[in-house]
Amino acid sequence: MAALLYRLHRTLHQIEDGLIVAVLLFMVLLAVAQIVLRNFFGTSLVWIEPLLQNAVLWIGLLGAMIASRNDEHIRIDVASSLLPEKYHPFLTTFVDLFTAFICVLVAWYSVGFVIEEYDYAGAAFANVPSWLLQSIIPLGFSVMAVRYVVLFVLGLLGKRPKMQEPVP
Amino acid sequence: MITVAILLLVLLALMGAPLFAIILGAAALGFYTLGIEMSVLHIDIYQLSNSVVLMALPLFTFAGFLLSESKTADRMLRLSQAAFGWMPGGMAFVSLIACAFFTALTGGSGVTIVALGALLLPALVKGNYPEKFSLGLVTSSGSLGLLLVPSVPLLIYGIIAQQMSQQLDMPSVEIVDLYLAGLVPALLMVVLMYGYCVWATRGTTVPRQSFDFRELVDALWEARWELPLPLVVLGGIFSGFLVISEAAAVTALYVLVAEVFLYREITLRRLPGIMRDSMIMVGGILLILAVALAFTDYLVYAGVPEKLFTLIQTHVESKITFLILLNILLLLLGAVLDIFAALVIMVPLILPVALRYGIDPVHLGIIFVANMQIGYITPPVGMNLFIASYRFKKKVTELFAATLPFMMVLIIALLMITYIPQLSLWLVR
Repeated sequence: MAALLYRLHRTLHQIEDGLIVAVLLFMVLLAVAQIVLRNFFGTSLVWIEPLLQNAVLWIGLLGAMIASRNDEHIRIDVASSLLPEKYHPFLTTFVDLFTAFICVLVAWYSVGFVIEEYDYAGAAFANVPSWLLQSIIPLGFSVMAVRYVVLFVLGLLGKRPKMQEPVP
Repeated sequence: MITVAILLLVLLALMGAPLFAIILGAAALGFYTLGIEMSVLHIDIYQLSNSVVLMALPLFTFAGFLLSESKTADRMLRLSQAAFGWMPGGMAFVSLIACAFFTALTGGSGVTIVALGALLLPALVKGNYPEKFSLGLVTSSGSLGLLLVPSVPLLIYGIIAQQMSQQLDMPSVEIVDLYLAGLVPALLMVVLMYGYCVWATRGTTVPRQSFDFRELVDALWEARWELPLPLVVLGGIFSGFLVISEAAAVTALYVLVAEVFLYREITLRRLPGIMRDSMIMVGGILLILAVALAFTDYLVYAGVPEKLFTLIQTHVESKITFLILLNILLLLLGAVLDIFAALVIMVPLILPVALRYGIDPVHLGIIFVANMQIGYITPPVGMNLFIASYRFKKKVTELFAATLPFMMVLIIALLMITYIPQLSLWLVR
């Protein structure tokens, strides 16, 4: 069981890392291709623009998912710099629970919206269905919710990684 | 009940909850009180895919990460030393120019201190500049390029302002205009800082370097692959040949080819890791931007800017008083908050009010970022003070003292930028 969970965990990390690198690479290449087409061949492909814009959404959520692994989100860090370190576990326990709750909330309503989109709405552009593009939102928030629940549990067990900000 | 919930959110924010969760909580609470269906949260986050310019954020950030992972800082330092080292206070001028360009290209100003500061500080001390002076100079230059194209904070400001312009009656805020508007204020800061450096080191025995043409040619040759970069960015954007997002794409591809295939300082094996790390930072920024857009929608919907304006107007009559209070507020916030956090929280609140006082939205953007830039070095909590303290192994209190005179100079620049709108606007309107 533990081994299975560990493998699942690692596979998820690999999928996230692979996807975000692929989306970024495609973004660079497609955007440059569009410029070349427009300026040197006088044409453009209509599907590139919306695809690029959706790629931003995907990068945003994938990046946020990865940042949740070790809780590296942007925050206002007042209490942890004022309070001595031994009180930090109290802070993180409350905060993790709250963050998980918010993620569940968004994921819940988002899943509902995407299912409706699947049933009724059509393609966003070309033949790409709009629900597929939007599905990264419920997926992202679900994964983040799970990660913050895990952080909460780790906190109770006293094994949580320290609260940190993204280091520039 | 609602008051309790709001207080709870504030408390959680201070306890260190991720900002995206706080803003989402606030937006959800707001929509709930207005009786609006919660799926609006999803719709608002999906707005991330509506923006044409937003693509520039991941692309510029990626390019910046590549530049800071390779030896660009060394080449930039060598080149500016060869070009400007002969001037009086030459090495100080070199620090200012190199930091400004490096910060503009890499976005994060902490990176500048880590990458460039570590090279500049020993060079300054070796050039007989007093150590305290050098420390202060390097620390305060670390955020100098935030007003220069392709600054990410200005981009974020523009995106929020564009979002709001749909609901407010205001002149358009084009990203290009913001970048144009930032040029003169950024230059003003560099000039004033340089003036102070020359004045502060008068009477000391800083030897002048002689100009070495051979060294300049060598330095130019060494930087040959990176030299066209400012031309691509500036020329592409300001000539109108490329829109911002396209300039970002060209920059990213160009830097990728230069650092990986021409300089060969980043191996292909390391590339995915760098891409991933840069996108984690972008993901964090995009997420709070997305939820802030949701929250902005709520604010406008609930008429909060109107109420805020009425409230402020009963106490503050003139535009000048408003600007003074704005500067004080933003300096404090800039010291406490992350620059992106400050932007997404404060711009939606301040922009509509500032418009009523007759402040141009482009000018406001420049004031905002100029304040945030000084916030980085404002004691006791400015972030760059801590990064410098960590990097140079000095006490933070020592850095307070060393940075203070430079901060004063920057505040003079800030006041000029704030009260002489033409400095920002004469290239734009």
